[in-house]
Amino acid sequence: MMKYLLCLLIILLVSCSDAGKFIKVKGSDTEVNLAVSLAENFYKEHPDFSVAISGGGSGLGIASLLNGQTDIANSSRPLNAEEIMLLKTKGIPIRTVIFAEDATAFIVHKDFHLDSIDIATLTKVLNGQYKTWKPVTGQDMPISIYGRQSNSGTHSFISKKLKMEFSRDAKEMNGNAQIVEGIKHDRSGIGYVGAGYILNNGTEQPIKVLKIIAKPGSIAVSPLDIKAIAARRYYFQRPLYQFIPLTSWKKVSAFIDFEKSAAGQKIITTSGYYIILK
Amino acid sequence: MKLAIREKTDQAAKLLFRMTGLMVIAILAGIFFMLLWNTVAFFLKIKPWDFITGTQWNPSGTPANYGMLPLLVSTSLVTLGAMCIAIPLGIGTASFLSDYAGRKLKSVLKPAIEMLASVPSVAIGFLDIVVLGPGIASITGQSNGLNALNGAVLLAIMSLPTIITVTQDALEGVPNAYKEASYSVGANRWQTLIQVTIPAAAPGILAAVMLGVGRAIGETMTVLMATGNASAFPKGFFHSVRTMTATIAIEMGEVPYQTTHYYALFAIAAVLFLMTLLVNIVGEYFVNKYRKYQAA
Repeated sequence: MMKYLLCLLIILLVSCSDAGKFIKVKGSDTEVNLAVSLAENFYKEHPDFSVAISGGGSGLGIASLLNGQTDIANSSRPLNAEEIMLLKTKGIPIRTVIFAEDATAFIVHKDFHLDSIDIATLTKVLNGQYKTWKPVTGQDMPISIYGRQSNSGTHSFISKKLKMEFSRDAKEMNGNAQIVEGIKHDRSGIGYVGAGYILNNGTEQPIKVLKIIAKPGSIAVSPLDIKAIAARRYYFQRPLYQFIPLTSWKKVSAFIDFEKSAAGQKIITTSGYYIILK
Repeated sequence: MKLAIREKTDQAAKLLFRMTGLMVIAILAGIFFMLLWNTVAFFLKIKPWDFITGTQWNPSGTPANYGMLPLLVSTSLVTLGAMCIAIPLGIGTASFLSDYAGRKLKSVLKPAIEMLASVPSVAIGFLDIVVLGPGIASITGQSNGLNALNGAVLLAIMSLPTIITVTQDALEGVPNAYKEASYSVGANRWQTLIQVTIPAAAPGILAAVMLGVGRAIGETMTVLMATGNASAFPKGFFHSVRTMTATIAIEMGEVPYQTTHYYALFAIAAVLFLMTLLVNIVGEYFVNKYRKYQAA
């Protein structure tokens, strides 16, 4: 239903714009809010362009890339081997842009009994080894995991980083916002969202951001700690990618330039994402 | 002269309506063949038996698993729950409307019920996330309301208008002579309803139920939002489940075309199509039976 509406919207947008200045951006629920605010400000400088943005998930962006339906595929994970193969067999050469960095935050209800969690415990919680919170907080409540669908960039990022498969009881929500909504009501829930979703939503919501302890004995780091992120001390931080088919490169380069400009970088940092100079 | 014009317009109308009719058939055939084509492509890679009886749905895992049994069971579970709520409620409301309600009340209630059918499913799903889900969770002592029961309640609400209107038509279609005969031997309203009217309208009521089931099986948006979508094998009404429709909706945007995963979604759609087709055929059978009876 939503998708059809979206298609309709895109068709309408296409029909009323100069095809040469029309940019389609798809994918990554983590990046979609950022992409929208970037595009809004981009218009102010380049009113002749039109940019259509739809989120969905990194998988959606990459699938659209493969199906030839997008100019920029936003993704919060690198391409996997199968996707690189498919791109090759379909003959779609691409360019990769890393325009920002994101930290994935683990959130719980505000009344949750812990402020920080270490990696080993987190792994056991997420892969279903622990069924209740008893070994962690001492409370006999069943753990409910709020996550994303299997092809989401965040899902595969965490699963790779912790070297585990998610519990099959993990709930698959439609997006970051729905995860936050679920955690607000669930005292025994744990979920993961892009840190950008937390800064934007403010602290008045009844959720708590867990600090992560990377190694036993090391200090707990919050995903909202800008200094720690800049020093790469937060365990779940990752680059955000944009994959662009070479055929679209000329068209989108103005947008990419805008992302890299001072104004663009300011939008990225105020939206809760990070820029790391290499 | 006049006759010639009339014949011409008739001819033109005939042609026009024949074309629209053929177009509808062509669209249906197109959909059907697309489903069939992609399903066959899937079954060339995965054995149909493994697909139906496999208990793991994990298309992006290594190795990928395409077992749709958990999805099938989830869909059945949610639909069953919905019908347990909607059938008594629907038949009760329809009986009230046809036998008890005064004309004024009826003129308000009937359009109100029909309006329930026009609320967009996304809106119902949203209301659920904000109000009903947390409500169910606190009543049942669960930590969250994203479970099969929640989905069942929503589907019950959404299939009620169909069940109520069709049941009411069936009840009102029962000839008055039946009721009069019942009253004349001293039966009261309740006895007449239970022992005469409802049994006489049974085929129509069954048709109503089947149409309600069809509505519930095919519904997507609300179950996607309300049931939690955990891919584990369903353990009961208080666990998150993942229906067939929700699986297609979640995964369809993400699959590259012409991959096994892409074909798999069509295969689920084909199974869903067969299920709703079966339910509709059964419903249609009872509708026809009831029509014949009504004509007599």
